[in-house]
Amino acid sequence: MDTCINKIRELSLKLLEENEVKKVIGFAEGTIPMATSPVTITRKQDVEKLVFNSTCGLNLANYIRNQKDKIAVIAKGCDTRNIVTHIVENQVQREKLYIIGVPCNGMIDKSKIESLFEDEIIEFSEDGGKLNVKSSLKEEKLNKSDYLRKNCRLCMHKNPVIYDVLAGDLVEEQNFDNPYPDVDEIEAMNSETKWQHFEDLTKNCIRCYACRNACPICYCPTCFVDESGPQWVGKGQDKTDVNTFHFLRAFHCAGRCTDCGACVEACPMDINVRDFTRKLNKDSFEMFGWEAGLDIARRPPLDVYSPNDPDDFIK
Amino acid sequence: MKFITIDKKDWARGIEKSRETYKLFGPVKDKSGFLIKSLENDTLPDMEYHDTIMSAKSVLFPQTEKILETTLDESKEDHHIMKRADTDYSPRAVVGIRPYDAKAIELVKLNFDTDDYRDPYFCDAYEATTFVGLAVNKPGPFDFSTSAGSGPFCEDGLDILLADLDDKFLAKVLTGKGDAYISACGFETSADEKESLALFDILKKEAQNNIVSHIDTDKLKEKTILELHEAPFWEDVAFSCINCGTCTYVCPTCWCFDIQDETKRKSSTRIRNWDTCMSPLFTRHATGHNPRAAKTQRVRQRFMHKLKYFYDKYDQGIMCVGCGRCVKNCPVNIDIREVCNILNSYEKQE
Amino acid sequence: MGNLLEHMGIEKDRVHFSWISSAEATKFVDVVKEISKKVRALGPNKKLVKDYN
Repeated sequence: MDTCINKIRELSLKLLEENEVKKVIGFAEGTIPMATSPVTITRKQDVEKLVFNSTCGLNLANYIRNQKDKIAVIAKGCDTRNIVTHIVENQVQREKLYIIGVPCNGMIDKSKIESLFEDEIIEFSEDGGKLNVKSSLKEEKLNKSDYLRKNCRLCMHKNPVIYDVLAGDLVEEQNFDNPYPDVDEIEAMNSETKWQHFEDLTKNCIRCYACRNACPICYCPTCFVDESGPQWVGKGQDKTDVNTFHFLRAFHCAGRCTDCGACVEACPMDINVRDFTRKLNKDSFEMFGWEAGLDIARRPPLDVYSPNDPDDFIK
Repeated sequence: MKFITIDKKDWARGIEKSRETYKLFGPVKDKSGFLIKSLENDTLPDMEYHDTIMSAKSVLFPQTEKILETTLDESKEDHHIMKRADTDYSPRAVVGIRPYDAKAIELVKLNFDTDDYRDPYFCDAYEATTFVGLAVNKPGPFDFSTSAGSGPFCEDGLDILLADLDDKFLAKVLTGKGDAYISACGFETSADEKESLALFDILKKEAQNNIVSHIDTDKLKEKTILELHEAPFWEDVAFSCINCGTCTYVCPTCWCFDIQDETKRKSSTRIRNWDTCMSPLFTRHATGHNPRAAKTQRVRQRFMHKLKYFYDKYDQGIMCVGCGRCVKNCPVNIDIREVCNILNSYEKQE
Repeated sequence: MGNLLEHMGIEKDRVHFSWISSAEATKFVDVVKEISKKVRALGPNKKLVKDYN
């Protein structure tokens, strides 16, 4: 993945030079260690600003809607799945996109790395599968594979599913007998324990809506929590209102979520809101054999009716 | 100036004793990281922490606060008449608040306690609160407090400033409120004033020298609002913003709120919640018109308020104390230090 | 939706889905009776219920 950045820059430069696209959307180096920031590149001399590494945890499909001109976007496996979802849901047109696909070896779990240190991290670098992390008190050399985000560890679509060009060699995909062990763990609990699990999960939520806003499929012009006439949900810190937000947001993602992990990446309180969405992903998979964002020709399961749809929940 | 030495062996006993008179708040470690919380039962403030994710503003200005209540039961004489909620304003103390957070509360107070209007909820809480600060011996890499009007040993807004000397705390008692709190803890060992002052001075210089992060604010005042407002850089600054409320909620100086009425059966309450200028709903009029409908306008508003409007209105520096929380927590790494420097150095191209 | 509610800890017997035509009066009665019985067995719901004070 470290060498693909040269290819990304080269391709971006060419696209801008030949006026194939008006801008390139990618990641730029952040101002603090382990941070990158989505950026739009319009001038050839700025191509050098582009970076791609294990800290590019947000989903750039979130930045490609409402564009006038043709644009290029740097997209890892999950980003491309959300691009597919956007195309299926008529949010972007395929011909107005130039997709620079990046086969991905996973993004790092920043909170997990931070938790190894008592003080702030002042330096971060990576070399292949090795991470070098330094604070003012100590330095750690880590294996990236031990510090992957939870969603990346269970990812089965590391390679872009749709692209115009690849910025690196395809990587080997993982296959799991059970892709949803985390959901099973919660399913095995009784009602009370489940309830307690989700109460604990969201207890520090500050309703900043970073999870929703980082999510490429949360693009409603007005979210149900922001609707004021009628108002569907209270706006305070009451835990019922907080959980209603999380529950309904997750449900709105049913059959659409690609488990890209941008929601968790964005959360300042480190809440694994995927505990909600993963259940729906598992159900979509088991009931409809569906994984979101793999095929621009297929409508998502909740969009279509089929006589074979499971209906044993209806009495 | 009064100085008290507190042996760390006596610390827990003293804090426990102060509970007889004070409700305590302070830093505690939670699964998300350190947070300022109400210290229930025998929980002590964790004085080894570096930074808390959220600031201490919630002690005076909770994210959701019930302010008024009434009954809708028409058989009651005072039905539909809003009365102040029954809030506990007995003495409280925030133990271990960082100096920049205490300074931030002074800035918030400029808004809530003015000649024209005194916000009773904030002001009553403020009066009830004693601020026991913990100086920052080793400032982190994102701490730019010294160039934002605060600093690791800044005393503004504090009643007591504690310096951690490994086996003991040296307390500088700054106000009468602070004196009362020290007495309530039963801490009595006086330290020599001259020596203590000298020691604080050394520690302060050392801490300040450790600060690696700075901003420039010297030219903000002379810029005109319109020139900054219409500057071409805002699109770039705002591009990556996802319009979440993280920056405003973790900010110790952001004070905006929204009022909501909630009713259940015959009871009705009026609550106020933190609000965020990053949300389109923040400015949407009842007509549907939104003066800040676009993301760039909202990002511009946040920075202009902090770095220009506030500065011009109150002449008390910028509305930022340099804690670095927004820098660290922003999901897309929009950095107020960079934006401040862009504003400060901006010259309009003719 | 039923599955997600159950996943969050809302008891399975508390939420029911049925499809009843306006001509199926007896089915309606039977379903409502069945639901009442099951919900009564669970007792009052405390989850996702807002406490206003």
